Amino acid sequence: MFSSTAIKHIRLLVLTESLPLASLALAETESFHPDTRAPEHDGLPGTPAHAYRDVFNQAQARLNKIANLIPLAETPPLDVLRAVEFDELNTLNTWLGQIWEQASAYEEAFYALDEAERLASEHEVLLDNFAELNIDLGRLAGRTRFLAFHVGVVPRENLRQLEDAAALAQHLLHVYLYRGDTAHVVLVGPTDDDATSPIAAVLNAAGFQPLTIPPELDREPDVLRRELAARHREIAEQRAAKQQALAAWGATLHEQLLAARKTLILAEPLVTLDPSLRSAGRIAYLSGWVPTRALPDLEQRLSTLLDLPFDLAVRDPRPDERHLVPTLSVRHRWLQPFALLVNQYGIPAYGEIDPTPLFAVTFLLMFGSMFGDVGHGAVIAVAAWLARHKIPTFYRFGIFAGLSSMAFGVLFGSLFGYEEILHAVWMSPLHDPILMLEVALVWGVVFIIVACLLGIYNRLVNGDWTGALLERHGVINLLFYLAFLWGGYGLASGQGFGTLPALVASGSLLALAAFQWQHLHAPTGEKALVVVIETLDTVIVYLSNTLSFLRVAAFSLNHVALALAVFTLADMMGVFGHAVTIVLGNIFILVLEGGIVMIQVMRLQYYEGFSRYFSGTGHRFVPLRLRQPRPPSA
Amino acid sequence: MSGSDQAYLNTRVTLLSLQLMSPETITALARLPLAALAERLGMEALLDDASRVTVRRRVLEQALLQTLLNEMSLLARPMIPMHRDLVRAWARKFALSNLKTLIRGKLYALDPQELHAHLFELPEALRLPEELPRAENVPELLRQLESGPYHVIARQAREVYEQHREPFLIEAAIDQRYYAEIQRRIMGLDTHHQDALRRLIGSELDCVALLWLVRYRFSYRLSPSETYYRLVPSPRYLGRERLLELVNLDSLEQVLAALPAPLATAVQGCTSLAETQQRLATYTLEERRWVLHQSQSAIARALAYLMLRESNLFVLFAIAQGRLLNCSDTLIEQALELVEPQAAPLERRAA
Repeated sequence: MFSSTAIKHIRLLVLTESLPLASLALAETESFHPDTRAPEHDGLPGTPAHAYRDVFNQAQARLNKIANLIPLAETPPLDVLRAVEFDELNTLNTWLGQIWEQASAYEEAFYALDEAERLASEHEVLLDNFAELNIDLGRLAGRTRFLAFHVGVVPRENLRQLEDAAALAQHLLHVYLYRGDTAHVVLVGPTDDDATSPIAAVLNAAGFQPLTIPPELDREPDVLRRELAARHREIAEQRAAKQQALAAWGATLHEQLLAARKTLILAEPLVTLDPSLRSAGRIAYLSGWVPTRALPDLEQRLSTLLDLPFDLAVRDPRPDERHLVPTLSVRHRWLQPFALLVNQYGIPAYGEIDPTPLFAVTFLLMFGSMFGDVGHGAVIAVAAWLARHKIPTFYRFGIFAGLSSMAFGVLFGSLFGYEEILHAVWMSPLHDPILMLEVALVWGVVFIIVACLLGIYNRLVNGDWTGALLERHGVINLLFYLAFLWGGYGLASGQGFGTLPALVASGSLLALAAFQWQHLHAPTGEKALVVVIETLDTVIVYLSNTLSFLRVAAFSLNHVALALAVFTLADMMGVFGHAVTIVLGNIFILVLEGGIVMIQVMRLQYYEGFSRYFSGTGHRFVPLRLRQPRPPSA
Repeated sequence: MSGSDQAYLNTRVTLLSLQLMSPETITALARLPLAALAERLGMEALLDDASRVTVRRRVLEQALLQTLLNEMSLLARPMIPMHRDLVRAWARKFALSNLKTLIRGKLYALDPQELHAHLFELPEALRLPEELPRAENVPELLRQLESGPYHVIARQAREVYEQHREPFLIEAAIDQRYYAEIQRRIMGLDTHHQDALRRLIGSELDCVALLWLVRYRFSYRLSPSETYYRLVPSPRYLGRERLLELVNLDSLEQVLAALPAPLATAVQGCTSLAETQQRLATYTLEERRWVLHQSQSAIARALAYLMLRESNLFVLFAIAQGRLLNCSDTLIEQALELVEPQAAPLERRAA
C-alpha cells in the first residue's frame, strides 16, 4: 500500500508485419507503458509506424468531421480483436475521404442557407429602418442619370478606412445603423460603370454586402414583410429538407461508419507506440515498462496472438534509469480523493513511498482537531454526500473530513458551537489552551521525525547512501533535530540546554556544513557565505517548522472563540435576530474558517511533510490500452 | 510593469543584444564555406548529404525560427499581459505566413503533404486553430476561416475562390489586419511606452505603407481609392492625411518627392521600387537600433531587439541557403544587400 508496484523493463523484437498484432496484444493486457528512448545499440534507423500513423491521423480526423454531421457512437463495443494492416487502413482512409467530400457538400449547403438567413434578417432590419423615413426610398433602389446608391452592410472595423477611400472615389458614406459587428451604410456617388468603377473595387475589398431595396418599398411594406417571412420559411424548409436528406444518407452509411470507428480503435495502439518503435529491415524493436506481476499474462498473450517468432527480453530497471520508471500505485478507492491532493504536489517516483495513506490519516487528524464540531462536521459530510454525482471522485474526501470533524466534536463536546448540549468526552479546547498547545507541539515533533525517517528510507531505497546520511533531512540532520529537541526540553524544564545535546547538535551541524563545503563549486568566499547561511537556515527551519504546528491548537481554540463571538452577537438581538445571527454565524464559520483550516492543513502537509520525504518527481504508469471495454478474447 | 520588472527586462534585452551581428560579422559569415557555417551555427544537419536540399533548408529555417521564438518567450516571461500580448501580436506574422501558405496551397490544389511541410511549427499561443491545417478542400478551409478569428478575410477569400482571382488580395488583407492589430495594441499602452513604440512600429509602418502604395498604384495599377483602402496609416510620418495626398500622385518620382523630411532623405535619388525598398530597409534598421540603444521603454527595446534578431537570423538563412544551392559569393552578397544592406561588403557599398 505504501510503495509502488515492482516494474520490469522489457525489450520486444518482432517482425514488422507482426506489429499490428503485437500492439493489440500489448494493449489488451493493459500493462505495457512504452519507453520512447532510442535503442541503446545503433543500426535501427527505421520508424516502421510513421506512415501508419499519418494515414491513421488523417482517417481519424475525417471520421470525426463526418461524425459532426452523422451522429456516431464515440466508443462502440468491439466485436472481436483483430489486427488492422496498413493496406486496410489506407483503403479505409480513402473511403472516408470520399465520404467526407460528400459530407462537406452538405456543410457547404448549410453554410449557404445560414448566409441566406442572415441576409434576409439584414433586409428586415433595413425595412424597419427605412419604413419610417419620409422619403421616396424607391429612388435608392437603383441609379439615376447622375447618382448611384449603394446600400448594404460592412464589417464595423473596416468603416473608418472605407469612409476615406469612398471619399477618394468621390462617394459619400452614411452609416444609418450599427448592428453587432456590422454597420449598415448608404454610399452615394456619381453614376459609373458598376464593374470597373473604383468604388466597386473598394467595396469589394471592404467586404461590403449589398442589400437590395425593392422598388415597391414605399408602397407596400406589409407585402414586403410577408415576402421576407416567406423567405425565412423557405430557407427553413430547405434546411429541413437538407437535414432529412443528410439523415437518410447518414442512415445508409451508419453501419459502415461504425465499422470504421471500430477499425480505427483497433489501429490506435500501434499509432500510440509509434514514438517507441524502431526497425532495421523486417525486424522491429520496441521497449517499455511492465508490472512484474503482469509479465506472465503479457507473455502468454503475445504467444497466443503472434504466429510469427518474437523475442522478449526482461530485466530489472538499472539504477541510472530509475527516474524513468513509471509509478504504478495500488490504492484503495477510499484513498483516491486524497491521492488527487497528493498529485497536486507530484507523482511519487518509482520506489518512493506513496504518501497517500499517511497523508489521508494525518490530514483527517489535523482537520478534525482544528475544526472539531459535530454539527459542522455533519453539514460537511451531508453536503459532500449530496454532491456525490457532481464530484464523484472527490465527494468521499468531504465525507471523511466531516466525519473526522464530528469525531473531534464529540471529544470537544461541541455542536454548532454550543458546548452545553453534548457532554465532552475529553474537554473543550478553551478549557485548557496550554495543554492543547503542548499536544500540538508533540504532534508536530512526531510528524517531522516521521517525515525525516521516510525521507531517509526513500533515499536508501534508491541507493543514495550519502544522501540518506548527510543531505538535508538525512540521518545527521535528524540527529541534530533530536539533540535540538533534547536541549530545548532541558531549557523549558529549567535544566539548561545541556552539554551532551549541545555537543551532538553542534557536531551534526558541523558535519552538515563540511558536507556542503565539499559539494559546493564556488570561490572560497562565496562557499563560506553559503555554508554559514545554509547552516543557520537548518536551525531556523527546524525551529520554525516545529512551532508551525502550534497552529493546530490555535485553530481548535479559534473555532470555539468564533462560536463565542457569534453567540455574543446573537444575545444582543431579539428572538428572530438571535436565530438569524446563529444561522449566519454558523455559515460564516463553516465557509470561512472551514476553508482556512483546509488551507492550513494542506500547507502543513506540503511544506512540513512532503518537502522532507516526497520528491514528487515520478511519472504515472500509463498503459497502452484500447479505447473501449475489452472485447471477448479472440 | 513595475520598476524592477523593467530593470530585469532591460538587462535581459541588453544581454541578448550582445549576440546581434555587426555588418562586419555578417560579411565574414557570408564568405564561409558551408561546413564552417554549419559548425558556427551548430547545425550539423546542414551537412547531411542523405537529405534533400529542400529538407535541409527547411530544418535550418525551422531551427532559426525556434531560436527567435525561444528568445521571445524568454523576454515575454517578465512582461505584464498587455506587453506580452503586443509581442505575441508581432510574432503572429509566422502564423499568418502559415495561413497564407494554406490558402494559396488549397486554392492551387497543392499536394497536402508538401503543403504541410512548408508550414512553420509554432508554439500553441501562436498556432492557427488546428482545424485550419486539417481542412481538405477550399470550401472546408473557407468555412473554418468563417467560423474562426480570421472571419473578416473569409469573405474575400471566398470571392477570390469563386471568381478564380489571384490570392494576393487576400494576403494583402491579412497583412493589413496584422499591422492594424499591432497599432491598436500600441495605442492601448501608456505614453511612456507609446512614444518609443510609435517610433519603432511607426518607422516600420511608414516603410510598409510607402512600398505598398507604390506597388499597388504603379505595379498593380489599382485606383487611388482602392490603394488607400488597402494601406495602414502609420502613427509616425505617413498618417491618414499624408496617405490621402500620396495616393493621388501619378508617379514614383512624385510620391518620393512629396514625402516628409526623414523619409525623403532616406529615399533621395531613388529611381526604382527595388532601390527604394533597399533604402527603406536601411532606414528601419537604424530606427530599430536607435530604439534598442536609446529608448527607456523596456517593451520597446525588447521588440526592437526581436526585430533586429529576426533580420539577423534571416541573413544567416540567406547565407546558408546560398551555400546549400551552391550560389556564388557575388550572388549571396547581392541577396544580402536586399536583406541587410549594411552587411554588404564595403567595396559594394562604396560602389
